[in-house]
Amino acid sequence: METLINGTKILVIFLSMGSLVPFLVWAERRTLALMQSRLGPNRTGPLGLLQILADLVKPLMKEDFAGQATHKGLFYLAPLLAIIPPALVFGAIPFSHPLILPSFEFLGYAFGPYTFYFQGFNLNVGVVFALGVSSLSAYALLIAGWSSGNKYSLLGALRAAAQTISYELALSLALVGLILVFNTLDFLEMVKIQSGPLTFSFFGSEKTIPFLPGWGIFYQPVGAFLLFISFLAESNRVPFDLPEAEGELVAGYHTEYGGIKLILFYIGEYAHIMVASALMVTFYFGGYTFYPFLTEDSLNGLFQARMGEWAGLLTSLALFITFLVKFFLFLFVFMWIRATLPRFRYDQLMDLGWKTLLPWAFGNAVVTAVVIFIFDFFKRGSFFG
Amino acid sequence: MDSLIFYFLSSVLIFSALRVVTHKNPVYGALYLACALVALAGIFFLLEAHFIAGVQLVVYAGAVIVLFVMVLMLFDLKAEKQLWKISPFRWASVAFVAGLTLGVTLLEGLLGSSSIGDLGFFSAKHIARLLFTKYVLAFEVLGVLLILIAVGVVALTRLEREDD
Amino acid sequence: MAPILFLFFIAAGFAAFLIGISIKFAPKDRPTDIKASSYECGLAPDPPPSRHIPVKFYRTAILFIIFDIEIIFMYPFALAYRDFLAQGQGLYILLVMGVFLAFFLLGLWWEIASKALKWT
Repeated sequence: METLINGTKILVIFLSMGSLVPFLVWAERRTLALMQSRLGPNRTGPLGLLQILADLVKPLMKEDFAGQATHKGLFYLAPLLAIIPPALVFGAIPFSHPLILPSFEFLGYAFGPYTFYFQGFNLNVGVVFALGVSSLSAYALLIAGWSSGNKYSLLGALRAAAQTISYELALSLALVGLILVFNTLDFLEMVKIQSGPLTFSFFGSEKTIPFLPGWGIFYQPVGAFLLFISFLAESNRVPFDLPEAEGELVAGYHTEYGGIKLILFYIGEYAHIMVASALMVTFYFGGYTFYPFLTEDSLNGLFQARMGEWAGLLTSLALFITFLVKFFLFLFVFMWIRATLPRFRYDQLMDLGWKTLLPWAFGNAVVTAVVIFIFDFFKRGSFFG
Repeated sequence: MDSLIFYFLSSVLIFSALRVVTHKNPVYGALYLACALVALAGIFFLLEAHFIAGVQLVVYAGAVIVLFVMVLMLFDLKAEKQLWKISPFRWASVAFVAGLTLGVTLLEGLLGSSSIGDLGFFSAKHIARLLFTKYVLAFEVLGVLLILIAVGVVALTRLEREDD
Repeated sequence: MAPILFLFFIAAGFAAFLIGISIKFAPKDRPTDIKASSYECGLAPDPPPSRHIPVKFYRTAILFIIFDIEIIFMYPFALAYRDFLAQGQGLYILLVMGVFLAFFLLGLWWEIASKALKWT
């Protein structure tokens, strides 16, 4: 029974991610257009929403050519590898407060108390898992470029892979500072820690700012900024989208792809953006909570008074909507940046990753560790015990 | 359910590892090795060694094999592919190693202890504790070794190509 | 592990399903000479030059491995830091980690200063 619930939950999570992508494509085209003082797609259907259907059907009906590929098996495998890593990470992110169902009777069977997690799987090493699976996304690029049989595709793929791995370093190191503060790798734990007021120990005394939520961004502003830039680069998003820019090595690693295989690469890129937004929200912006108004305690208290039994479900739904609002806000920021910033040249891009972001992330981790030590020293009064 | 997953992952692992040594294109070999390492990370997950599984994915499958694949893709491998011959000697050596591994595993299973030990042993906090108390010298030596590798690589790849 | 594998297969199945639809319902692939050649901005593909192989990819990848390993070592440190502080071993751990981080910094400074990553 539990397997059925879990299986359905994972299916729903993946399908909602998959169906959000076409909507994001439409939203991006409209947003970019409106920011550039023009209208986006507005002919097909109301507000151009049927464009989504058109965008899905047209590539499916295109001829599926693979004649020039030197390794056909890998040529067909690469689009699959492009969407699997972000889908896996998306399944580990908590979308709402776990719903605790007390035991109840149904059709003569007694169902025990059950905790329904609003995530695909509840890992206690969420951060390392997310990092590990993201680093596997380099393979899709390399395999796509190499199996195309086109030397420019190969070079584009190698450059894209080099960009991806360079920014993974800044990504992992920026997260070290966050883990020093939160002391856990679990996503759900991080959100729970951020659902209280902003507390920190300041030279010996514990200070609490009661009107600000204990969000990660207040503890690690530099780390958040570095992580955001690294996410932009990891998902090959402007201003770091040189690997797929038209006019640069033709179209990079997906030059020889057409039809639905090409669209799968774009689905992978949008899935990456969704994962990046969800992770930014979970790490630095409180996940699904917003102290002091929207935490599980306050909402539970609110609903308990009126609805009694359904309080838990309503709390979870309300927190889910909180998450969605923040999530869409970040997606909008991604599109906003695309409309605003020019593209980096490749060597500027690599220099930024190695010579700017990596030292700053390193400094962030060291400063965080030292500050924690100093405050602990003042709280404790001595170096030992 | 867990044993089903274990059988599936280990068969993927064994098949991929076999293909690493039996495929004639080295790039395919490297990719099969990546597949084998991902299956191995899955087995680590099953053994409740979550942190080690994640580290395996990040470092081994996500960095080392990416290096292999990147470098191998740059070469024109026709010569390597032509040199590859399926000889009886090759199959005999694969069978020998496989038989040896199987024999050792069976002996261990029959004669050794069958408990897996404390499952909290592989948690990240416990690893940290061990790393900084029992293995602290090895940890520092590792830092030095990594520096040596960095310096060595830059020195090796700098000599000929000043105008790269 | 089961949910992770399940999600893996759902994602792969979804992509395979889409490609399957395309193979079944789209016009068949009739390879002509031009379609089967690689795309080079419409110009005729010239023979692959036997230039020397760019070594910067290898260098970037090796340096990535090194720093990735060092960063992964910082993760157990970050997790156990507060425990060590609570037990009064804060100074010790800071010293041990400080030595390691000094090596990291030395490596980082050296590879930046040696212009090992010039990409022009």
